[in-house]
Amino acid sequence: MLSIKIAWRNLFRHRGKSMVIGAILFLGAFLLTLGNSVISGMEKGLDKSVVGGFTGDVILISKEQQDPVVLLNMGGKPVKDILRFDTLRPKLESAGLFKNILPVGKGFALALNEQDGVPGFAFLLGVNFRQWKEMFPESMRIMQGNYPDSTGLLMSTGGLDQLYSTMGIWFQPKGFPIDTALLGKDAKEAYPHLTMQNDIVFMGFNEANSTSDIRLPLDGISKFKALNKIWGHFLFVDIASYRRCMGYFSEADQSASLSATQKSLLASDNDNLDALFGTEPPTPAALGPDQTIIAPKQILTTTLPEEAGAYQLVLTRFLPSVDRSQGLDSLQRFLETSGIPLQAVTWQKASGVVGSMTIIIKIALNVFVFLLFFVAIIIIVNTLSMAAMERTSEIGMMRAVGAQKSFITKMFLLETGFLSVVFGGLGILIGVATVLVVRWWGLTTENDILQLLYGGDTFKPLFGIADLILTVIQLTLVTFLASIYPVRVAKSITPLDAISRD
Amino acid sequence: MNIVEINGLTKDYPLDKTIVHALRGVDLKIAQGSLMSIIGPSGSGKTTLLNMIGCVDKATAGTVKIGGVDISGLSDRQITDLRLHKVGFIFQTFNLIPVLNTLENVEFPLLLMGKLSNAQIRAKAKKLLDAVGLGDYFNHRPGELSGGQRQRVAIARALVTEPSIVLADEPTANLDSVTGASILNLMQSMNKELGTTFIFSTHDPDVLQYARSIVKIHDGRIVEA
Repeated sequence: MLSIKIAWRNLFRHRGKSMVIGAILFLGAFLLTLGNSVISGMEKGLDKSVVGGFTGDVILISKEQQDPVVLLNMGGKPVKDILRFDTLRPKLESAGLFKNILPVGKGFALALNEQDGVPGFAFLLGVNFRQWKEMFPESMRIMQGNYPDSTGLLMSTGGLDQLYSTMGIWFQPKGFPIDTALLGKDAKEAYPHLTMQNDIVFMGFNEANSTSDIRLPLDGISKFKALNKIWGHFLFVDIASYRRCMGYFSEADQSASLSATQKSLLASDNDNLDALFGTEPPTPAALGPDQTIIAPKQILTTTLPEEAGAYQLVLTRFLPSVDRSQGLDSLQRFLETSGIPLQAVTWQKASGVVGSMTIIIKIALNVFVFLLFFVAIIIIVNTLSMAAMERTSEIGMMRAVGAQKSFITKMFLLETGFLSVVFGGLGILIGVATVLVVRWWGLTTENDILQLLYGGDTFKPLFGIADLILTVIQLTLVTFLASIYPVRVAKSITPLDAISRD
Repeated sequence: MNIVEINGLTKDYPLDKTIVHALRGVDLKIAQGSLMSIIGPSGSGKTTLLNMIGCVDKATAGTVKIGGVDISGLSDRQITDLRLHKVGFIFQTFNLIPVLNTLENVEFPLLLMGKLSNAQIRAKAKKLLDAVGLGDYFNHRPGELSGGQRQRVAIARALVTEPSIVLADEPTANLDSVTGASILNLMQSMNKELGTTFIFSTHDPDVLQYARSIVKIHDGRIVEA
């Protein structure tokens, strides 16, 4: 009580120094609040935009896949196939971790320019549209056209912009007029003289160089609720069209065996092989007695379940009760023990540069907070040490009349503590008010990097209970660390120092 | 009974590259209830001697016993505790805690001791302030008091713990002669009433008439006792 009384009154007696330290603590607490809010908002925003909008909690890839960057690996190697997912799904479901499991095909494709211009590039995402909607119901909204049912092509405004920039063609769903609000900057400048198409020809890329061109009409234009530009790199097609484009064949085709005649034909040294490629389809007689002609349509038709075909990624969402990082550990252990030929990666790893960028932004913010921390400590240490030395007579006299060093320590810690509570508390309050104003203001951006910092299109810093606790802990730590040296100075003052000053 | 026993006390201070011999083998015994004055010219070592008796400085050699306890082997905590219980200080510049009022300043050592209830502490502090003539100044801060009044508060604070010894280093140095005399009268009467040992240093010959014993010190040696 005595030390509290002295400490409290000392703050008013040394108003100037109290104000200096208080101002630093205020500013520190204010900036810590903002910093923590930005980090928290970014994490929450990215969680919503990325995990809840595109990737899920964990991405499963083939065990043979060495490079974990499987999402935004522009120009990278194709991702290893996941085969017979129909047999893997029940095993995965038995782990009791998942709310949703969505296998998708992902490959790099060339968008052919039928106007004799430069072709475009895009990642094709082969999905089951119904399953996608089930897993990411809030991720996007249809701006024009229709959400494909079983087959079709869906492009985001971000994707359309990118293709327009390279190809100079604006793709538009058939039967819908151009909505200028959806046009990107370049397309807007060219409007109304836009080169327009309702469908697009894709040529897939794969390691076997066995892809085929497919023409797909554009069903709808979508817009991701966040990170529209980044997710715009992906064009959504139904999984069957995707497989066709990427040169995958059905299980039945893979198991087809060659007859003796076919083998002899392939092994033939006959110079007249060109005769086989006439303008008319070959007759059974030309091929041999044991052959029948199979129409190409039938070759591509699979009688096996959709999930028996090839995929590259499996997007998963954990049950609400499963913590993401613990879930990832459990999943990895489960995959290992159950012999499922898959491996789990986080979206940050899978997204490569984009994922790294978010980590870099987060580190930069944390470094900023740490520097703030450090500078605040240095200034407070300096001011408090000077205050301690200026109070040599007072402290020495207290020691002379019987105050222990612990009393002096308590008095100093209380003084700094009061300042921290009053000014730091005020800093936090003003910081929270600023966060609320910024959230209300709703700053938006189209810039990719800023979108990562914002955790979406809109800057929404967040200050929850956890952030409050974190900020209070940081502030307490600053106060405590800043008090250590001045307390040592004060404790080292002896009664003799006070008497010598007389 | 001797409250202070000093044997072969020397104290050297380093000063730049030289050593100052502040005390050169002092032997002194001070009986309980004494009213002693230590006199000598400036730099003679009287303040150093008072500091040694007050346990605020450490001897280079020799021993200082307070109430039979050799202070050389005590820890900082024990010495601080000894000062709290056995020694009262009256400083030359009326060192009071600026943020506490008169009453709280007097209560300060008792609160540190923590032996009495708040009511008992308050009653005791009030009684002493009444005794030093400051019954109407309980709520005044040191800054609102005159030099003499502040020194009276310091005397009340020094006496409130009922110490064995009260040390006063030139207690009247910063006071006018009338106020100085009243302070010395107060110390004299407290010495008589409470039996507390008062040891004060001075180089003012007028102050000497209040002392019952005088120790004369010169160049760090007691030349007359």
